[in-house]
Amino acid sequence: MRKMLAAVSRVLSGASQKPASRVLVASRNFANDATFEIKKCDLHRLEEGPPVTTVLTREDGLRYYRMMQTVRRMELKADQLYKQKIIRGFCHLCDGQEACCVGLEAGINPTDHLITAYRAHGFTFTRGLSVREILAELTGRKGGCAKGKGGSMHMYAKNFYGGNGIVGAQVPLGAGIALACKYNGKDEVCLTLYGDGAANQGQIFEAYNMAALWKLPCIFICENNRYGMGTSVERAAASTDYYKRGDFIPGLRVDGMDILCVREATRFAAAYCRSGKGPILMELQTYRYHGHSMSDPGVSYRTREEIQEVRSKSDPIMLLKDRMVNSNLASVEELKEIDVEVRKEIEDAAQFATADPEPPLEELGYHIYSSDPPFEVRGANQWIKFKSVS
Amino acid sequence: MGSAIGSSLSWLLRLRAAGAEGHWRRFRGVGLARGFLHPSATVEDAAQRRQVAHFTFQPDPEPREYGQTQKMNLFQSVTSALDNSLAKDPTAVIFGEDVAFGGVFRCTVGLRDKYGKDRVFNTPLCEQGIVGFGIGIAVTGATAIAEIQFADYIFPAFDQIVNEAAKYRYRSGDLFNCGSLTIRSPWGCVGHGALYHSQSPEAFFAHCPGIKVVIPRSPFQAKGLLLSCIEDKNPCIFFEPKILYRAAAEQVPIEPYNIPLSQAEVIQEGSDVTLVAWGTQVHVIREVASMAKEKLGVSCEIIDLRTIIPWDVDTVCKSVIKTGRLLISHEAPLTGGFASEISSTVQEECFLNLEAPISRVCGYDTPFPHIFEPFYIPDKWKCYDALRKMINY
Repeated sequence: MRKMLAAVSRVLSGASQKPASRVLVASRNFANDATFEIKKCDLHRLEEGPPVTTVLTREDGLRYYRMMQTVRRMELKADQLYKQKIIRGFCHLCDGQEACCVGLEAGINPTDHLITAYRAHGFTFTRGLSVREILAELTGRKGGCAKGKGGSMHMYAKNFYGGNGIVGAQVPLGAGIALACKYNGKDEVCLTLYGDGAANQGQIFEAYNMAALWKLPCIFICENNRYGMGTSVERAAASTDYYKRGDFIPGLRVDGMDILCVREATRFAAAYCRSGKGPILMELQTYRYHGHSMSDPGVSYRTREEIQEVRSKSDPIMLLKDRMVNSNLASVEELKEIDVEVRKEIEDAAQFATADPEPPLEELGYHIYSSDPPFEVRGANQWIKFKSVS
Repeated sequence: MGSAIGSSLSWLLRLRAAGAEGHWRRFRGVGLARGFLHPSATVEDAAQRRQVAHFTFQPDPEPREYGQTQKMNLFQSVTSALDNSLAKDPTAVIFGEDVAFGGVFRCTVGLRDKYGKDRVFNTPLCEQGIVGFGIGIAVTGATAIAEIQFADYIFPAFDQIVNEAAKYRYRSGDLFNCGSLTIRSPWGCVGHGALYHSQSPEAFFAHCPGIKVVIPRSPFQAKGLLLSCIEDKNPCIFFEPKILYRAAAEQVPIEPYNIPLSQAEVIQEGSDVTLVAWGTQVHVIREVASMAKEKLGVSCEIIDLRTIIPWDVDTVCKSVIKTGRLLISHEAPLTGGFASEISSTVQEECFLNLEAPISRVCGYDTPFPHIFEPFYIPDKWKCYDALRKMINY
């Protein structure tokens, strides 16, 4: 986050180096902030929901735009690298869902905690890692955030607990982190994300029960992108009102393509948890443009028309851009400039990710246990052993 | 893998030239690592190299005794077996994640259209629920064929399998049983699976009396073994090596046929050393055997274990009594892997017949790695080396 603020301040101060006339024009024409109306959220066991209007400052707007554009470009670059076979293994892309990761981050503090499933590249970025580290991790190089040993699904950062491959396994973990938050008494909350497919896993309901019983400051967030891999929500769930599935846990259903809606809902939910009332559930209605993973074309279970419709009517970046331009918070050229800068940043990162060396073979045995004298890892034959160092 | 093989070949030649066994310690896999990891080749070359599998599938000769055959790969032979089962047994149902459209590995293509949506249906994403539900169906007497999408995801269902399915007959004094349950699951390394799409969990289930665990090496074996599992009156887990789904193709009979469970198969007779493996690894040790024949003049007896539990102790022990040397290989980690059970039993039964310590060439005791996979798996070079050591013991 700090890096983003530094980057944005660089951009904004960079504007002052342009010819004076342009600066004058720039500072005179833009509003400082604007008020927007956002969609009302559906509520479950709640008297009141998040506000229906919100104020967006120019600075925030530019920051969100840049972050969403970076996530979008990064995912598309990952797609490209995968098709070139530079990234191998599994790669789950979140383009289309940028409003979720950026909006959630906007609603919480950097000291709050977040844990999610495998569609995690966007969250890894919003939680503070650079695009370089993310792309290098995807290509399995030692410059990656998990030193190249984790890959797409296992990226971690400060207060970001991954990146989890097994569906639904991260939800009880999130409840545990929330317990630690409550115990430490520092007024922190934990955002625990899962998808519409995972919502049918048993351990989610175990986590709901524990969180509600002990009033843990846990915000359960179901990122409902309408398809669990290839299965649409109607075919997988007896009740597709995922925000009500917490039963005794209050819930709200949020338009996950509108970043301001997500931000307000997150602020509301975080305030609810911080006041000690216990857990709360948020369903973000969103959409992914790519298939489930890179091996899924994404069109065998949904029509191209549907994808096109969402892209043209509800694309999160487009929605924010239109809002900002129409309320005079930014100009089209300014946003285009951000696009160009973002593209360059991603290109550089991809260059790094492709050229960085792979982790050395000795690291095969590292970090299995935490052990003081390194021990030898037994394996394929008795004479090649790797040391396990932690 | 080309340069890796090249560098390891030169490494091995250096080994032989070194003469006495003590000299090998200098070459601790360094040559292998250097040859592969140094990015001297272009990006495209590196990408191409990693496409090469660590084994070559060797089809068995066309079986004549079961009638007309057709060329099928592994997933097609599984479809054929399921087709035969559903046709023969009106109570048989197939369920799991995404099986309706054909499954993520195409193992159930066409079955829903043929037998109806009451018999081939999707479940939500809940492994524990899938297996528990399957046990319930089986207890009433219907045939349940459950699919767990990857063996790596079988762990939420571990409790149901171990505590419910395996113990049903025992705890009810044979009043009830869930013998008509079969769980199918893709298994084993696939080249790019990383931690959660490459695991081989057969050892976890080997520790559980009451279930049977079966792993085929080829399409012909798969169909026969799967049909036996479905008809067997005990809950069975059938692991299908996912790397062989397309890579393995051979002539498979169209009509149903059974291959008996708990019987290992001696694929190749030999006199100097016994090699035991299952699944994909069988093809690796086949190649090792031909390498040994060519370079060392050693005659290897190859055994495909087929059923992990209850395993065929007699065949393996008879073979070891003949040869005096045993090498077991599997992808799963060494410690606690099924090779340890085989090793332990064989040394109990055939102690005085052994000429050399039993060798286990297995995966490292680490989680299945992402980028390090080519170094993790027990490939033919590691097996060959172990064999050489045993011969020269």
